[in-house]
Amino acid sequence: MSIAVRNITKTFGRFTALDNVDLDIPRGRLVALLGPSGSGKTTLLRIIAGLEVADSGVVRFDGEDISDRTAGERRVGFVFQHYALFRHMTVFENIAFGLRVRPRATRPSQQRIRERVHELLDLIQLRNQAGRYPSQLSGGQRQRVALARALAVEPSVLLLDEPFGALDAKVRLELRRWLRQLHDEVGVTSVFVTHDQDEALEVADQVAVMNGGKIEQVGTPDEVYNNPATSFVYNFLGNVNLFHGRVDNGMAQIQKEDSGHLVFVRPHALEITRHPNGANHFRATTKHINVAGPLVKVEAVTEWGAVVHVEMPQERFRELALVKGEEVFITPRDLAVFAKE
Amino acid sequence: MTVTAALAKFKRRSIIPGFGLTLGFTIFYLSLIVLIPLSATFVESSKIGWHEFWRVATTPRAIASYELSFGASLIGALINFVVGTMIAWVLVRYQFAGKRILDSIVDLPFALPTAVAGIALTTLYATTGWFGKPLSDIGIHVAFTRLGVVVALTFIGLPFVVRTVQPVLEDLDKELEEAAASLGASRLQTFARVIYPAIFPAAITGFALAFARGVGEYGSVIFIAGNMPMKTEITPLLIVTKLEEYDYAGATTLAVVMLLISFVMLLTINALQRWNGRDEAPARG
Amino acid sequence: MVNAVRLPASPAVTESAPIRGVLIGASVAFMAAFLFAPLVLIFFAAFKQGIGAYFQSFTNPDTLAAIRLTLLAAAIAVPCNLVFGVAAAWAIGKFEFFGKSFLISLIDLPFSVSPVVAGMTYVLLFGAQGLLGPWLVAHDVHIIFAVPGIVLATIFVTFPFIARELLPLIAVQGNEEEEAALTLGAGGWQTFMRVTLPNVKWALLYGVILCNARAMGEFGAVSVVSGHIRGLTDTMPLQIEVLYNDYQFVPAFAVASLLALLALATLIAKSAVEWRVGRVKGEAA
Repeated sequence: MSIAVRNITKTFGRFTALDNVDLDIPRGRLVALLGPSGSGKTTLLRIIAGLEVADSGVVRFDGEDISDRTAGERRVGFVFQHYALFRHMTVFENIAFGLRVRPRATRPSQQRIRERVHELLDLIQLRNQAGRYPSQLSGGQRQRVALARALAVEPSVLLLDEPFGALDAKVRLELRRWLRQLHDEVGVTSVFVTHDQDEALEVADQVAVMNGGKIEQVGTPDEVYNNPATSFVYNFLGNVNLFHGRVDNGMAQIQKEDSGHLVFVRPHALEITRHPNGANHFRATTKHINVAGPLVKVEAVTEWGAVVHVEMPQERFRELALVKGEEVFITPRDLAVFAKE
Repeated sequence: MTVTAALAKFKRRSIIPGFGLTLGFTIFYLSLIVLIPLSATFVESSKIGWHEFWRVATTPRAIASYELSFGASLIGALINFVVGTMIAWVLVRYQFAGKRILDSIVDLPFALPTAVAGIALTTLYATTGWFGKPLSDIGIHVAFTRLGVVVALTFIGLPFVVRTVQPVLEDLDKELEEAAASLGASRLQTFARVIYPAIFPAAITGFALAFARGVGEYGSVIFIAGNMPMKTEITPLLIVTKLEEYDYAGATTLAVVMLLISFVMLLTINALQRWNGRDEAPARG
Repeated sequence: MVNAVRLPASPAVTESAPIRGVLIGASVAFMAAFLFAPLVLIFFAAFKQGIGAYFQSFTNPDTLAAIRLTLLAAAIAVPCNLVFGVAAAWAIGKFEFFGKSFLISLIDLPFSVSPVVAGMTYVLLFGAQGLLGPWLVAHDVHIIFAVPGIVLATIFVTFPFIARELLPLIAVQGNEEEEAALTLGAGGWQTFMRVTLPNVKWALLYGVILCNARAMGEFGAVSVVSGHIRGLTDTMPLQIEVLYNDYQFVPAFAVASLLALLALATLIAKSAVEWRVGRVKGEAA
């Protein structure tokens, strides 16, 4: 099922959570809504789910306007950040809930419900925990149960609100890969909200970057990372060095003083050399070198006193034999220029 | 304004169902049980006219009853302020045999019917009673005196202070006291300067609750009081007497006086509870 | 915090042993004198003339009628207040709307109004000289000095209890589980029965027990509306008053002992609920 969101606006009192937002989510894809707190991503997700009502605009599933349908009628699976498992029900009963509350006419038989729940328990690898209560499970297990519960009713859309936000870093990594695998297996159109750009870039087919109630850019992880459309996107995804600059004949020039443009360069796109090499080079003195890790991180101070961060592979670092306090030249290999807003 | 827009101003949009039904029923019930009868009271009292109202409200007998009701409640609440805080402290901080039982018994005045408390206290403090006899031997008479009223109201008000102070004491960070001790404060100084200010809002809230409850108390007092006009007659009893004499005007006047004071107490208590930071805690009654 | 291991308090934050002893001693003494003594006395006085006399007290037809009336009033008042309590807790706990704190204050009202005044407002409304009096007399409907009045007065004084037990709990539990249920296709009523209710069942149970105890024990409000017609409009607390004033002490305390047992059962229920809730919280920690 494809989702189309048009002209959605939502305010809470004086605060505008969403400002005339349009978004398309293709059928069968896993899309991430990425942005900082307050960007409106959770609000948008809840509006799609029917848990909030927009002030204006429409939501369409497969072209059909479902804005007036209740959450139950939309047949979406929703996974909450804090799981929202029914605390007095066992894992089995939680997963079976959606099937058990169906009206008599469409309710599957006891037998069929049991089969389906066991299927899902196998899918989430918690077959032995069926009789446990949520309070007896770990965070990661609870989230898997929440997912199974949402999938039990065979939703046409799966919506996840910061699903791994409440988990430890290691569990987060495991579960995010597991989610990707699950999506590839089950194939349900899925939208998930996150503020973690690593998560979005690693898991999603498409990323919608949001800020202040608007969508800044929609694209594949490659597109948003390597061809950011706005300075916000550039800044939000990955580390960045900021310079003042101006544009001369279509070429960007880094400058000391402010002149109306910002130049963005990623740390690994800055090259350190002993001799001037290439356009836009500048002098800098190395201040701090961090060798631990796959990339060597060098912090340097430019001739005009600004701090820059440079990253380079270990071999390059050994080639250069850099030491602290050395004067070097730095050239950007790849930069993006945005007019100051 | 459309209905939706009007509704939006009134209530935050939510998809949880049942708002109209539950709120409607709640308001209906409250109107039926509380608002309409209360308005009847004010309507009745307005028939009397301000002059007459003032006259009835300030007869010597009425004033004597206010003195007793408010005075005894105040004293009882003060006693409970001190003793209740101590009991809360002992229950939270110390371990000793029988603590669980003691903790449960604190709530007895809530659960015990007022008439039962009334006859029990009277029999206990009568000159032939277990406590009354030794006390009257040394010249202290409790039953049928104002002192008896104070005793009864102290009984009634005890749980209020204990139950409002207890949770605050439980949440108190031990590290504050350790810091004070490490800075050289004696235990008494620590209590006076660190602990007491922290529990004061709760204690005062409990005090106000006990006081408000005591002012209107009837069943537990009328047996032990003696009920002599001008001496040991509480205001609620005066109201009942007037009702029995079909002096509705008089009864209403006194009731309105008590209601106005109740409203003021209610607002004060709510403000105190907000200060105490425990808006949503159940008020004991 | 509930199940945190209680490390022994460092010497810096505890009083010296003698002071502890004094505080504990004073607290125990105070509670023994003020709470235990009256309670124990009730049973002593009830059995003063032996077990035979105790049970004989319940053969008095007026007393039996009073017991029946009390049970009837409670049997009507408690379910009504249960429905109200649930509705009010849902409306207030799950939604944000204008006027919410006013509504909460209104629910707190019976705690600060004297029960006598409460009863009186019904007399003013429904009594023969009251606002609706003539209409009621014309239609031969009796509220005051009859059972309906007693039920109404009982409802007034006890309706906050269930609401106030549920309200903070529902407010604190939030809406997430209900939202989850709604997305899974459950209807409003289903969501309430299967998700909300099980989460508050212990508080609800205690609220009902407390409401019942207070309903059966209400004295002041019922006294005003009942008319004290022996055998017809006397509830147990009123019958206690009648017997006591007639110097029939053993029967008076016999009836009182029943209500005292009910009070003790309420205290035990409270303890049990708190223990259960504490255990559940501990598991979730």
